[in-house]
Amino acid sequence: MVTKYIIPFIAIATLNGAFATSCQNPKVEAASFTSLDATVVTQIAYITEFTLKSRIGVNKYQVSWTEEPSKARSGVHEIHILDEEGFASLRRARRSDPVASVSPLLAIQLQHPGSYSGPWVNSEVLATGISIVVAYVALRNKSKILA
Amino acid sequence: MSGKANKAFTKEEELLLQDFSRNVSTKSSALFYGNAFIVSAIPIWLFWRIHALEVSSSLAWFALVTAASTWFLALAYRNTKFQLKHRVAVRREDAVAREMSKKLADDKKMNRKEKDERILWKKNEVADYEATTYSIFYNNALFLTIVILSSFYLLRTFTPTVNYIVSLTAASGFLALLSTGSK
Repeated sequence: MVTKYIIPFIAIATLNGAFATSCQNPKVEAASFTSLDATVVTQIAYITEFTLKSRIGVNKYQVSWTEEPSKARSGVHEIHILDEEGFASLRRARRSDPVASVSPLLAIQLQHPGSYSGPWVNSEVLATGISIVVAYVALRNKSKILA
Repeated sequence: MSGKANKAFTKEEELLLQDFSRNVSTKSSALFYGNAFIVSAIPIWLFWRIHALEVSSSLAWFALVTAASTWFLALAYRNTKFQLKHRVAVRREDAVAREMSKKLADDKKMNRKEKDERILWKKNEVADYEATTYSIFYNNALFLTIVILSSFYLLRTFTPTVNYIVSLTAASGFLALLSTGSK
């Protein structure tokens, strides 16, 4: 499942127009982290750190957010990076359709393999179940012997 | 049996009486008490690690409850074994007799009476062994089930110490009581 997060790329937008034109062919390298163990946290964190290389130099950025464990879906989450023009056209599109999206300058994929929120069956329930089965077998066999 | 044997039992009758009495041999008794002790001591781990019972301050309770539970369980083992042994003997009678006759068929020196005695003895041994092991299994299974049910569900809200004492004594006491029933 692909979740799209559209992040207006303020850093680029605040730079001058020369940058916007120079950033035609950016290269990105990203590393990411997501919380895997939901038993000890109340929020699932997503962090991605990426380096944007363009003709004007190398910039490092970090994007992070958190979600309730029940809402955190596993799979690929996509982060859309927009430049100033892209962001402007997105805002225009959103005015009429609040879920509209535009093709991004580039997209970063963040893989969340899903978080562990404890075993499916509690160990005490399992222990109770097994012991009841064994006790049932014992009782049944005893009444069979005594019958 | 006959009127003549009223005063003194025959050797065979004595053997039978001994075999089917409630008394158990020393070896069997050691097995019962050893098993009862182990099974009574196992829940200490459950209460220590899972129910977070403070060990150092509960040592006296551990000793007392384990001793009481061992005694109750050994009683339950003994009574259940006694109940089972008759039925097991009846059920295994034919098979044991057949097997022993086959085994002793070649032995020409042995007379009929001696062979019968051997069969009786073997039957008793088989029944004793089966009843003993089944009694231990049966009581252990019920004991641990009752302990788990009461400690996790019935007495969950009580303090671990109360939970421990009540769970163990209730489970072992109930089994001892149950074993004294006629059925």
